Amino acid sequence: MDKSLQVIVVYLLTHVGLIFFMYPTDIIETLEAGHWIAVLLGFAIHIALLTVYLRGLKYGAPNNIIDIFKDVGRWFAMVILFPVALYFTMMIIITVRAYSEIVTLIFLDSTPLWAIMALILFVSSLMAMYGVESIFRTGLLVALLFSPALLLVFSLAFQNVEFLYWFPMIDERSATFSYVFSKPYLLSFFAFTGGFLFLGFIPSYIPYKPRKVLIASTALLPLFLISVYVPLLTFGPSAASALQFPFISAVDTVNVSWLMFDRVTLFFLLSLVGFSMIFLSLVIWKTSLLVRSAFKFMSHIVTVLAITAVIFLICLYIPDWQSVERLLWWNTILRLYVMFVIPITTLAVGLLRHRKGANLT
Amino acid sequence: MELLEQLRSRQRQDSDMFIHRFSLVHYPVTLVGAASLIDLPQTMKLLQLQAQNIVTSEQPLLALSGGIGEFISQDDIPQVIEAISEGKLIIVPDNADPCVKLTPISRTLSRSIEAPITENVLRGGISAFIEDLDTNIGILKKQTISDRLRVHTYWLGSKQRRKATLLYIDGVVNGSFLQRLQRAIESHQTKDVPDLQALNAMLGFTKWALVTRFNTTELPDSASYALGQGKVVMFLDRLPFALILPSVVVDMFASDNDRSYPSFFMYAIRLLRIIGLLTNMLMPGLYVALVSVNPDVLRIEIAMSIAGSRVGVPYPAMVETILLLVILELILEASIRLPKSIGPTITMVGGIILGEAVVEARLVSNVLIIILAATTIASFTVIGFHNAISIRISKYLILILSSIFGVLGLFAGMVVISAYLASITSFGIPYLSSSRVKEQSDG
Amino acid sequence: MNKTSTLYLARMLLASGMLAVLCGCWNIKDINHRALPIAMGLEETGDELQIYLLIPFNDKNKQNTVIVSESGNTINEIIDRINKNIEMQIDLLHLKIIVFERSIAEQGLNDSIASFMRAGDVSAKTIVTITDQNLKLLFERMKSSTMEEGIGIYNFFEKNAGWSPHLAQTRIWHVFRSAHSHTKDVPVPLINPGHTTALASTGSAVLRHGKMVGKITSDETLMFNAFAGAGSQGKIEVMDHAAVLIVGDTLTHRASFEGNTPVLNSKLTLKVTIIETKGSPTATLIKQELEELWTYRYQQMFRKIQSVHADILGLGQLFRSKLSMDRLDRWRDEYYPRLKFNLKVKAVIQNEGLLKMKE
Repeated sequence: MDKSLQVIVVYLLTHVGLIFFMYPTDIIETLEAGHWIAVLLGFAIHIALLTVYLRGLKYGAPNNIIDIFKDVGRWFAMVILFPVALYFTMMIIITVRAYSEIVTLIFLDSTPLWAIMALILFVSSLMAMYGVESIFRTGLLVALLFSPALLLVFSLAFQNVEFLYWFPMIDERSATFSYVFSKPYLLSFFAFTGGFLFLGFIPSYIPYKPRKVLIASTALLPLFLISVYVPLLTFGPSAASALQFPFISAVDTVNVSWLMFDRVTLFFLLSLVGFSMIFLSLVIWKTSLLVRSAFKFMSHIVTVLAITAVIFLICLYIPDWQSVERLLWWNTILRLYVMFVIPITTLAVGLLRHRKGANLT
Repeated sequence: MELLEQLRSRQRQDSDMFIHRFSLVHYPVTLVGAASLIDLPQTMKLLQLQAQNIVTSEQPLLALSGGIGEFISQDDIPQVIEAISEGKLIIVPDNADPCVKLTPISRTLSRSIEAPITENVLRGGISAFIEDLDTNIGILKKQTISDRLRVHTYWLGSKQRRKATLLYIDGVVNGSFLQRLQRAIESHQTKDVPDLQALNAMLGFTKWALVTRFNTTELPDSASYALGQGKVVMFLDRLPFALILPSVVVDMFASDNDRSYPSFFMYAIRLLRIIGLLTNMLMPGLYVALVSVNPDVLRIEIAMSIAGSRVGVPYPAMVETILLLVILELILEASIRLPKSIGPTITMVGGIILGEAVVEARLVSNVLIIILAATTIASFTVIGFHNAISIRISKYLILILSSIFGVLGLFAGMVVISAYLASITSFGIPYLSSSRVKEQSDG
Repeated sequence: MNKTSTLYLARMLLASGMLAVLCGCWNIKDINHRALPIAMGLEETGDELQIYLLIPFNDKNKQNTVIVSESGNTINEIIDRINKNIEMQIDLLHLKIIVFERSIAEQGLNDSIASFMRAGDVSAKTIVTITDQNLKLLFERMKSSTMEEGIGIYNFFEKNAGWSPHLAQTRIWHVFRSAHSHTKDVPVPLINPGHTTALASTGSAVLRHGKMVGKITSDETLMFNAFAGAGSQGKIEVMDHAAVLIVGDTLTHRASFEGNTPVLNSKLTLKVTIIETKGSPTATLIKQELEELWTYRYQQMFRKIQSVHADILGLGQLFRSKLSMDRLDRWRDEYYPRLKFNLKVKAVIQNEGLLKMKE
């Protein structure tokens, strides 16, 4: 049965949950003007990789990516997929720690960090234990529940925007793409990679049509642009680069006199945290799948519990925001590997099989 | 005669059993049955009528039996006893011929068809199901005239037997779901089913679920509509409602009764029910979160008026809310059991006590009372009392999470409950599917 | 049932873990145990900062306001001290107005504003104002003549309540933005205790990079608001022969460079209705008077602010497409003083009221 709608919704959800926190900071730090070029470049890379990945998966259908690689050889699969498992684990750690810090910063300042991390991990691991079909259904329901708040905030976010800040449109640095290997730009890929790897893990459980996912991914471009440009146009480039979370601060400036709530930012933020809980549960599930394919004797629930416990303990040892940023940087290297190698390998394997199959007939 | 001896000794334990000598066409026989279940004079009249049509022959009883009942050998005593307890009449001939079991004219032990008790209908039929299984099937068949309606009957239980019937429309029902359901019933047919919890266990559903796996309805309209949507209707003897499997979340908001109105109103009313559901679950948690943990979200005027209403209240907002919620639950529970003569008095007393005195005594704030009254009313906008109970329970979870984590707890609670609902499936049909559970639907 | 029972066990373990968490309800502080000040004033006394807080109370449906004040070295230290001595916890979340005394404004608001933005406990939408009279007196006035239970003060600045186009509406984030921006400065409303009302506005202070460098009058603030598109509706203009009510304005710009001098040609169209006349003037006369009055005022204001190198009208924004980023850096000091601003005002009389009038 075609569950493309669920897949599309979860795909969009996970990206939305990741984009609005760190992505604007990184892009605004990269350039002084002409940010739209950077956004478009990143998006183009994302679409290209997505296409390669989905093509490769189509050749290997209906297996998921673990089985595709196992077909080539067990050791091959382990070598390729071990960094992926490591990447996932680090991603969960960073996301949980970063989001707890952000929540503490913005509104719950006396609740200790471990309590917030415990809450996020509890919810995510509960969802992961229920299984992947349940995660996708939850994603659909949560998207329905939270979208009115999100849409409201998006439309209100433009209240204080001054379009003149768009100029100057382009400058030397952005025109020559000299920033591409700078640290903030590489960090910004955090927002891209988190979301598409799951498409390779779900085929046997959840059938979907890859073309629909590709078309839906174009809906992401306006979101990326909004996340960077709303703070830029509200504060101007120089002030925006002084802010730690530009989009959040930009939404904070919105004054709604007709609503009974004063601080609309909060609902926006919490919807994002809700989405990221779903994202985390998906990643935990993927990690559990990887671990169980290597150690066949473990049951799903025990694996999830073990992963959660390990992550919680590690998170407790991260002392401050600087460490989080350092971890993010180390993870970037893994991320670049995962981002490029996995889709290309999938396509390569798929093409080889296809040609071998064609030779046989 | 061994059989009669056995029966007489049994009669000493069960004085309800009658053993009556009767002369059928001029052959002496013994009639045995349960006096409370059989209308004996009418039955005897019926037998005489039928006997008159029999041509005299050497074995009149054999001829008789060909028309009106089935044979049970005189040695098969357990079957005889079983037949008697089911309410059948046993004709025991004086010789060693096998006895005849036939269905007599039974006493009327069920009420007539009345209006439903737990459901209110505004624009639809008001005949409700009654306790008698066959009447129910008849009512439903009259509602759903279709040649593809299939009926399966099962006898459930060993110590306490109960008749159950499964109805579905062939071609519309979800095949795999039906198969799994039938397999579950057939493999556990010897389990006693005295109540719905036992039925739940027999079908293999977990008993700690927050959500009921079957929808119940007293109205034939709803049952027939469910059949048309590909669901399976189950009747249990002596339960005056139909059980509809599988239950999906849309049943909470969408009743077939809505279709008596134009579409626009139907959607508006459904939207209203959804708002009622959300209000019920989120309001207490929102109040506690906004008052105790995150007051910066409220506008200053509201913040001031709430602060003013809470001056002098000795405990924090969370305790206040839980206290008042428990009292409201007690009132709700009590009002189910109140005899009609005391009802109005208690309502008045409850209203005065809660409304005025408790606020005057500074035990709770009046804003909270408004919020909780709205919450309680909202909990009954959903369809089905069993659904109202589920959402009443889930709001406590959100309340507790909100009091610890503020508005974050509210959202986290919503995610947890969504996740829980998403994980419930009944034989492969997830709780969160749309109302069409037809052939290929899989969530 | 193995999976279900393990799942159940797992959930029970997690739930009991959560129960332990329940013992610490860290962030709970009921709203009636919090003091929510709505106005804060800062002034310098000698070497130290003095802070005044206007706190409304609600006691059994009776409204009270209280002024609390303390001194110290930094804002947070002073708030801490106040917390020590008061029976509730101070929460700056609902702060609506911050009043700086003129001397602090002249030294520079950047640090205070930056600390507000960093800590996040004061909302970025709080209105910033400056006063050049005694702060204590101002707060006393605010407290004693409070309409609407003490929270009416901020309605003074709310667009859907008591705001009028004479008042600049500057919030913390506007000042923050201008502190970092190359091309935009802000005016900050000047308020003083009123004679019969709680507050009176006496014009606006001009901030350049967060420092107060000059003053403009109320009328000139109106010019600013009309220019900034904040609206000039409802303002009544009095001239020699008539008084008109402004119902709308539209502004168009054309920015260009003549050699090294930036030139801005703008046209402001004012739509008015006539409400009072002295004698029987003609419509053309009224239009002429209005146009002259406004053009004169704009020239005055522009000269004033150009001389202090403060670009509150945001004219630099219009030149962003013409200059590169590094040259924009020097907008205020190099290009702005040379800017030629040609403003043409055109008046359109929308209607003449219920009486007829000569053309």
